[in-house]
Amino acid sequence: MLRSLMRRMTVAAMLIVGLSAGVVEARTLDEIIRSGAIRVGVNPTLPPLGKFDEKNEITGFDAEYAAELAKMLGVKLEIVQVGSPDRIPFVQTGKIDFVMGAMTRTPERAKVIDFTMPVHTEVMGVLTIEGKPYKHWKDLDNEGVTLVQVRGTTPIKFIEDNLKKAKVTQLDNYPDAVRALAQGRGDALVDIIDFVGEHMNKHQVKWKVVETPVDVYYCGLGIAKNATGLRDWLNVAIFELHKKGKTAEIWKKWFGIDMLYPTGVGPGF
Amino acid sequence: MSYTLQFGQVWPYLPTLAAGALLSLQIAFLAFCGGLLIGTAGAAALSFGGTWIRPVVRVYVVFFTNTPQLVQIYFLYFALPDAGILLSSFNAVLLGMTLNAGAYLTEIQRAGFESVHLAEVEAAEVLGFSRWQQILYVILPHVARVLFPPLSNQYILMTLGTSMAAIFGVEELTGRAFNVNAQTFRSIEVFSLTAALYVIVTFAATALLAVTGRLAFRAKMRIV
Repeated sequence: MLRSLMRRMTVAAMLIVGLSAGVVEARTLDEIIRSGAIRVGVNPTLPPLGKFDEKNEITGFDAEYAAELAKMLGVKLEIVQVGSPDRIPFVQTGKIDFVMGAMTRTPERAKVIDFTMPVHTEVMGVLTIEGKPYKHWKDLDNEGVTLVQVRGTTPIKFIEDNLKKAKVTQLDNYPDAVRALAQGRGDALVDIIDFVGEHMNKHQVKWKVVETPVDVYYCGLGIAKNATGLRDWLNVAIFELHKKGKTAEIWKKWFGIDMLYPTGVGPGF
Repeated sequence: MSYTLQFGQVWPYLPTLAAGALLSLQIAFLAFCGGLLIGTAGAAALSFGGTWIRPVVRVYVVFFTNTPQLVQIYFLYFALPDAGILLSSFNAVLLGMTLNAGAYLTEIQRAGFESVHLAEVEAAEVLGFSRWQQILYVILPHVARVLFPPLSNQYILMTLGTSMAAIFGVEELTGRAFNVNAQTFRSIEVFSLTAALYVIVTFAATALLAVTGRLAFRAKMRIV
C-alpha cells in the first residue's frame, strides 16, 4: 500500500514538473515577424477604445490602431481579450506581445513592463449623480464618501494617496462599477470619463461630471521587459502614425471629438 | 526568461492578506451555520414532511444546486436593486452563500436522516419523543459520524467559494491578493502566499468542525 502510494506520488510530481516546464517567454521582434502574426491585448469593456460589435468581435480605437501597426509590420493581427487586472501578467508571460487599453504610464508599472512613447492622453475626472454636492475632486476626501472603483486600475493608487478618508468599494469591471453607481451603492467614480460614457447611457440616471478634472495621464503600449527590438520598432511606428495624422484621425472617428490634450511627442523620443 | 523570486516585495502585505483570510473564514462560518439550520429544516421536511411542504423544498433544492453560486449572488447584488431591494456587498454574498449552502446541506443531511435505522426512530416515537426531539436526540447523534466527511467537504468548498466575494466588493483574501498583485505585479509570489493562506484557513475550519463534533456529539473524528 505504501509502495503504490509512493509510486502515485512520484507520477504526480513528474506531471507537475513536466507541465510547469513550459515557461513562456516574451517574443522578440524577429520571432513575431517570422511567425506572421502579432498578438495584441485589447480590453473590450472600455468603449470606444474597445467594444464588441454586432458580430461579437472586438472593435474600437485600440483594434483599429493595432491593425495599422500590424499592417506596417507586415503581419496578421490577433486580438486577445484582456481585462484591467490581468493585462500586465499577460504581457509579462508572453501571452500577448503588447497591450493597449489605455495603458497609463506609471513608474510602478514601468518596474515590470516597458512602455512605448505615448499614443494618447487620458483625462481623469469624477463621475457622480446629479444632486450630489461635489464641486471639486478634493470634496471627496471625507469619511462620508463611498467611491466605487474598478479593481487594478490607476485611480486606486491616486485615491490611496490623495483621498485617504474616502471609503472604496472595488468591483471587477467598468460595466459593474457604473451600474453600482447608478444603483446608489456609491457616491462617485473617479476614472477616465471618456471610457465610461457608453456604460452611462445604459442607465436611466441623471449623471453629472465634476467640472475640475483631476489630472492628465499619458497612455502608451505596454510591452514585456525583454522583448528585444519590439519597443524600438513600435516607437518608430507610433511616431510615424502621429506625424501622418493617422492617430488623430482614428481618435476622431471613435471618440467623435479631438483628443482633449495633445500628447506632445517630438521626433527625438 | 529568468524570473527571480522576490518574496521580499510581498512580505509587507502579509498582515493585509491575513486579515482577508480571517474575513473569508468569517463569511464561510456564518454561511455554513445558516446553511446547517436551513439544511436540517429542509431535510426534516423532505423526510417527514406533508404533501405540501415537500415540493416547495424540492424546488428550492433543485434551483440552488443546479445554478452557479456566482450567478445566484450576482442576481441578489445587481438585479434586486431594480426591484427596490438594495443589499450591501457583505449581505448579498452572505445571503447567497447561505441559501446555496442550505440547498446542498439539505441533500447531505437527508441522506444522513435516511441512514438511521427505522427501528430507532420508531422506538423514540413510541417513547413519546416529539418530531424535533427525535431529530435532536436520536437522529443527529447517530448521523454525526457518518455525515462528518461530506459536511467538512462542503465547509471547505464554501471557504474556497468565498473567493468570488471579491467580485462584489468584499475585500476577502482573493480580492486583497488581486489588489496586492495590481500594486506589486509579483503574481507568482502573491498567489503562492494566498494559496498557503487558504490551506491554513481550511485546515483551521476542518479542525474547528472536528472539535465541535467531538464535543457536541461525542463522535471521534479525524481531521486530515
